Amino acid sequence: MNTSGLNGVMQNATALGEKSRACLNTFKAWVQLDSSNLSPGQQLSVKYFIVAVILFFAQILFGMLAATQFIFPGFLYEILDFSVNRMIHINAMIVWMLYGFIGCVYWFLEDESGTDIVGLKLGNLAFWVLTGAVTVVVLVYLLVQIGPGKDSSLWLINEGREYIEAPRWADIGIVVVMLIFFYNVVATFSKGKWSGIAGVLTLDLVALAGLYVAGMFYMTNITHEQYWWWWVIHLWVEATWEVLVGVIMAWSLMKLLGVRRKIIQTWLYIEVALMFGSGILGLGHHYFWIGTPEYWLTIGGFFSALEPIPLVAMVVHAVYDSGAHAFKNGNHPALAWIIAQAFGNFFGAGVWGFMHTLPQINMFTHGTQWSASHGHLAFFGAYATINIAFFYLAIQHWRGDVWMGGNSQNAWRWKWALGLLNGGVVGMTIALLIAGYEQSFIERAVEGSTWGGYFAAQNHPSFQSAMNWRWFFGLITFAGLILLIWDLLTIGKGETRKAPIIPVEE
Amino acid sequence: MNETPLPLWASESFWKKTAIWVTAGSFLILVVLTFDSLSQTSAGGKRVPAYSVINKKIDYQYKEELHKFMPVIGETELLFGKEYTEEEARQLVDLGKKTTQAKNCMNCHTLLGNGAYYAPDLTKAWLDKGWISKDVREDMMVKFLMDPEKNARTFGSNRKMPNLKITEQEAKGVVAFLKWMSSIDTNGFPYNFKTINAEE
Amino acid sequence: MIEPVALKDFFITFFSAALIIMAGGSYALLFAWSKVNANFRIKIAAYVAYAVLLVAVILLTRAAQFQGYWLIISAAMVIGYFFAPIGIWHLCVKTHTDPHYPITHKEHQE
Ligand code: HEM
Ligand code: HEM
Ligand SMILES: [Fe+2]
Repeated sequence: MNTSGLNGVMQNATALGEKSRACLNTFKAWVQLDSSNLSPGQQLSVKYFIVAVILFFAQILFGMLAATQFIFPGFLYEILDFSVNRMIHINAMIVWMLYGFIGCVYWFLEDESGTDIVGLKLGNLAFWVLTGAVTVVVLVYLLVQIGPGKDSSLWLINEGREYIEAPRWADIGIVVVMLIFFYNVVATFSKGKWSGIAGVLTLDLVALAGLYVAGMFYMTNITHEQYWWWWVIHLWVEATWEVLVGVIMAWSLMKLLGVRRKIIQTWLYIEVALMFGSGILGLGHHYFWIGTPEYWLTIGGFFSALEPIPLVAMVVHAVYDSGAHAFKNGNHPALAWIIAQAFGNFFGAGVWGFMHTLPQINMFTHGTQWSASHGHLAFFGAYATINIAFFYLAIQHWRGDVWMGGNSQNAWRWKWALGLLNGGVVGMTIALLIAGYEQSFIERAVEGSTWGGYFAAQNHPSFQSAMNWRWFFGLITFAGLILLIWDLLTIGKGETRKAPIIPVEE
Repeated sequence: MNETPLPLWASESFWKKTAIWVTAGSFLILVVLTFDSLSQTSAGGKRVPAYSVINKKIDYQYKEELHKFMPVIGETELLFGKEYTEEEARQLVDLGKKTTQAKNCMNCHTLLGNGAYYAPDLTKAWLDKGWISKDVREDMMVKFLMDPEKNARTFGSNRKMPNLKITEQEAKGVVAFLKWMSSIDTNGFPYNFKTINAEE
Repeated sequence: MIEPVALKDFFITFFSAALIIMAGGSYALLFAWSKVNANFRIKIAAYVAYAVLLVAVILLTRAAQFQGYWLIISAAMVIGYFFAPIGIWHLCVKTHTDPHYPITHKEHQE
C-alpha cells in the first residue's frame, strides 16, 4: 500500500469521525435533554440505561433472526447460525438487565446514603471498560463464532454455556468491574449513612457476584458443570435478582408513594425471608435429571411449590397499600410498568413456573419449548418491566421533573408501547406453550425422546403453526420496543407542568 | 417520636433476624447437600461412571424394581477398536467436552435436557436408533460431525447442522463424550427411550 | 420415588397446577379486598376462590399420582394458601400501625 492510499484512509477516517460527531450533536439538539437536572451519580446511571436500551434492541433483533430460522432453516445458514443468534439473544438480555440494575443503584446511591459517590471517576472508568469489553465480546461472537476444542477457545471466543457464554477473559473483566461497583456502593454508604435498604443491597450484591464466580470454571464432568451452572442461573433469577428488584422497588415506592421507611424496610426483610427461604432450595427443580441424587426430586418439588408464596404476599400487600395510600403520582408510564411487573412476575414465575416444576410432569416438559414459554414470560414479566419502569423515572427527572400523565401530549406512544410489548410477549408465550405441550406429548411421552421423536414433534402442523405465531408476536414485540425507544427519547419534551412532589416520611 | 409498641412478629428487627436466619439456614443446607451431591456424582461413582466406561457396552432399560429407566453397563465393547486406560479415556472425553463448548453445541441442542431447542437432545444420542446399527454407528457419527451438511439427516425438517470445522480427533472425542454421557444415571429421564439395541 | 404423569393426564396436570396458583392469588386478592371493603359478597367470592383451589389441589394430587410423603405438598398447599393471606394481612395492619398513620396525600396534589 502506498502512502497516498494510507492518507486517503486516514482522511476518510477523520471525515467519518467528524460526520458522526455532527450526527451526535444533531441528535443531542433534537432530544433536548438537560443533564444539569441530574446529580453526578445519576449522570453515570443514565449511561448504563442508554447501553441497556441498545442491548435490549440487540436482544430482540437477534431473537427475531433465531425465530425466523425455526421457520426457514436455510435463513443465514452458515453465516449467522441459530446458535450464534440465540447466544446473542440471551446474552444481550442478561447483560442489559444487569446494566439496568447497576444504573438503578447508581441512581439512588447518593440519595440513600446522603453523600456523594466516593469513587465516581472510577465508576465512570468501569463503565467504559465494561462497555468496551461487551462490544469486543459481541464482535467476536459475530465474526469468530467458534474455535477448536481447546482451552484457548474458552478463554478467547466463548465458553459455550447457555446464558454465561462470555469467554473467560471477559468473565474476569466483569468480576473486576463488579468489584469496582461494589466498592462504590459500600464506600459510599460507609461515608454517608447505612440503612436497611443499603444492608440488603450490599449483601445481595456479594451473593450476586459470588455466584457468577461459581460459573466460571471448566469441568470435564458434565454433571458437576451443570450443577454449578444452575447455581448461577437459578440463584440469580429466583433469589438474588428478585431481592435486587425488591431493593429497587423499596426505594422507588418510598419516593413514589411516600411510604415510611420503617414499613418499607420491614417488608423488604419479609420478602428476603420468603424469597430466599423458597428460592435457595428451589434450586432442586434443576437437579432432577442431570445425574444428581434422587433426593433432589423431593427437595426441588417441595420448595418450588413454595416459590409462588412471596408473589402471593405481594398481591395482598399491594391491595393493602392501594387502600392506605392515595395513588397520586406524576409518572403514569412508570406506574403502569410497575403494575405490569406485578402481573408478569406472578404469571411468568408463579403460574408458568409451577405448571412444569413438579418432577412428575417435568420429566416430560424438561428441555422443550415449555421452558422457553416460561423463560420468556418470567424474564420479561419480572425483569424487563421493572427496568423499563425505572427508565421512565429516570427520563422524567432528566427532563426536569415534568408531568408525565395519561393525558399528556403524545401519551398514545407510551400506552401503545406498553400494549404492544406486553401483548407481543404474552402472544409469544402462548404460542410457545402450545408448541411445548405438543412436544412434551409427542416427543417426550409417546416417542420416548429419540431423534426421530424430536423431529416428529418439530414437523407436526401444530408445532409449525405455533412457530409462525411466535414469529408474528415477536414482530409485535419488536414494534413495541421501537415505539418504546422513540417514546423514551421524546416523552416530556415541551411539557411545562411539573409533577407533584411527594415528600417521604422518615 | 412516640411509637406505639408493635407486636414482636411485626417489628422490623424481628424480620431482619428472620431474614438472616432463613437465608443462612437454607444456604447451609444447600452447602451440605452440595458436598454430598458432588461426591455422589464424581466420575467413577455409581451415578456417573468412570470415563473408561467408553470401553463398555451401554444400554438404557426399564428396571421394574427401581420403577424407572436406568443405564445398563455391559461387557466390553471397544470404541474405535481401542481399549483406553482410565487416563486416556479421560483425555478423550475431555477433548470432546471442550469441543462441545468451543463449538457452542448447547445453543442448538440440549445436553441432559439443558440448552436450546432447535436440535435434538444429546443425553442419549449415543444410543439413538438414528445411527441405524451398532456396526456403522461410530463411523457414521464421526463423519456426520466432520461434515454434517453432506451427511445431513434432517428427518424431513430441512434443518441442517452447520459445518463447525470439527477435526477427526475432535469428532472422536465428541463421540467418546456422548458415549460416556449416555451412561449417567439421570433418574429415568428421558422416559420410554428405546435404544439402538432394542431390536437386536 | 415418583410416578410420572400418565399421558392422558397431561392436560389436567398443567391445568390444575395453573389453577392452584391463580385461585390462590385470587383468594388472597379477594380476601385482602374484603378487609378494605366490608362487602359480604367479596368475602364469599374469596371463599369460592379458595374452594376452587381445593378442587385444583385434589385434581393435581391425583393426576401427579402423589403418594406417601408427596402428599405433604398437597397438604402444605391446602393449609398454606388458606392461612398465608390472613397472616400477611395481619402483618400489613400491624407493620403500618403508627400514631401518624394513615396520612393523607391531599395536600400534595397539584
Ligand atoms: C423471575 C423468576 C424466574 C425466571 C426469570 C425464570 C426463568 C427461567 C428460564 C429462562 C428457564 C429456562 C432455563 C434453560 O434455558 O434451560 C427456567 C427454567 C425453569 N424454571 Fe424458571 N424462572 C423464574 C421463576 C421460576 C419459578 C418461581 C419456578 C417454580 C415455581 C420456576 C421453575 C422452573 C423450572 C422447573 C425450570 C426447568 C425447566 C426445564 O426442566 O427445562 N421458575 N426458568
Ligand atoms: C421479538 C421477540 C423475541 C423473539 C422472536 C424471541 C425468540 C427466541 C428464540 C428463537 C429463542 C430460542 C429458543 C429455542 O432454543 O428454541 C429464544 C430464547 C430465549 N428468549 Fe427470546 N425472543 C424474543 C423476546 C424475548 C424477550 C423479550 C425475552 C425476555 C425479556 C426473551 C428471553 C429469552 C430467554 C430467557 C430464552 C431462553 C429460553 C430457554 O432456554 O428456555 N426473549 N427467544
Ligand atoms: Fe429455577
